Amino acid sequence: MSFRKKISSRKFIVTAEISPPKGTDVRGMLKDAELIKDVVDAINITDNQRAVMRMSPMAACGILSHKGYETIMHLTCRDRNRIALQSELLGAWALEVHNILVMSGDHPVKGDHEAAKPVYDLDSVQLLGMIDGLNQGFDFSGHSLHGETDFCAGAVTNAELNEAAFAKLEKKIKAGARFIQTQAVFDTEKFTEFMDKIRGSDTFEEIKIIAGVIPLRSEKNADFLNRNIAGIRVPEDMISRMHKAKSPVFEGMEIASELIKELRLLCDGVHIMTIGTHEKTPGILEMAGIR
Amino acid sequence: MIISKQKEFKELLRMVKEPDIFIIGCGKCAAKLHVGGEPEVLEMKNRLSSEGKNITGWAVLSTVCSPGSWKEVLGQNPGIGKADALLVMSCGCGASVLSKLAEIEVYPALDTESLGGICSEELAKEQCRMCGECEIWLYGGICAHSQCAKSLLNGPCGGAVDGRCEVDELPCAWEGIYDRLKKLGKLEYLEFVHEPKDYSKKRGGIEIELQKKNILKKIHCDC
Repeated sequence: MSFRKKISSRKFIVTAEISPPKGTDVRGMLKDAELIKDVVDAINITDNQRAVMRMSPMAACGILSHKGYETIMHLTCRDRNRIALQSELLGAWALEVHNILVMSGDHPVKGDHEAAKPVYDLDSVQLLGMIDGLNQGFDFSGHSLHGETDFCAGAVTNAELNEAAFAKLEKKIKAGARFIQTQAVFDTEKFTEFMDKIRGSDTFEEIKIIAGVIPLRSEKNADFLNRNIAGIRVPEDMISRMHKAKSPVFEGMEIASELIKELRLLCDGVHIMTIGTHEKTPGILEMAGIR
Repeated sequence: MIISKQKEFKELLRMVKEPDIFIIGCGKCAAKLHVGGEPEVLEMKNRLSSEGKNITGWAVLSTVCSPGSWKEVLGQNPGIGKADALLVMSCGCGASVLSKLAEIEVYPALDTESLGGICSEELAKEQCRMCGECEIWLYGGICAHSQCAKSLLNGPCGGAVDGRCEVDELPCAWEGIYDRLKKLGKLEYLEFVHEPKDYSKKRGGIEIELQKKNILKKIHCDC
């Protein structure tokens, strides 16, 4: 079943995230995809995440699609103007990449090419609108396309939102996002508040909410996330569990599986970000009773 | 105000190879920011002289970017004729305009950062990006295009931590926009869907308007 069909069904969705290589050797990426292929509904492919230069997500998704994987291509507004974004999207569709996850993208100063010109010609709301146009057979200037796209587009959010950020999230839905992927959730109470707000708004009817999950690797890792990643807050009790654990990696998997069990009752799916250690993903899902 | 800062002196020495230099300062923004007014021009003159350069003269023009008649500038500053390079202590705009007029090499002594101002004793940087379609009223008077590090027009990104921007840890522009709109009773503006900027508007046709009203000629004579 395609990802699009899955998000239209009542099935609990599981996705996971893989980074394209920093270089041309795709063997590692293919190995990662192989590790998770039986337990996920689609594989997200990141777009130069944290502004660190890597292989184009369109090329990576194309390679994976060719091998029969269902991918969700991340597309940021950071590096491409409206011409390049459209061009990339048309190419992606032609390579049988059918799902797009749109985001602003970390600023170049956060990455490994600090001197790069930040583009941000469009923001994520405008990019979603542009995708909607391509789906209808028109480019951003209103010219007809010879062959339109039919992307299933999604957007991202933090679970703790101020009023301006919530208004923006609503605009993303109105612009055509069919699913929302959240930043990693550790505090399910706060996430419940977020879901209450979502479920209380007519805008989000039919919109699938996929919660982010990061299995912690160590106490240091939890600390790093708290200090460096916006929108992530690992609570004290989890940090102390990681501190006391004999096997922090297993403890991290345990915490992730507990979170998934709770999230299953709250939202429509989970997105697992194991950051390079994909062999853990099937185990975590099994511990959570999902696969 | 155009915000500029002085280049490193050793960088200037690497750049300016000519021996005979005329220094031009600017009486507007550069003078206000103490990077290109009379005291800074005189200091530059002394430093360059002590490095063996022959300073054929100096002047602080009232507005380097609109110097009026170049013939008059040359008449009032015979030192320019004896120099083989101009060192311009103004914004990049001023240095570029002088490059159109002068027949010798023009070197910029300043690096230009942004269009801003000074407000309540604070330097307000990046107040405007000169996009050609000012819409600040839709954002409570705060320009999302220039104040947000990602120029996001429809709301904040997810990168701010405790209201601080991921880029420079300054307060997120969207926090300011929200506060202002709330104060003005216009929070509904947050719901507007803003289209991307139309950069073709920067090519706006201002020259035709100015020529029609004979303004360019008037400015030229006034200067």
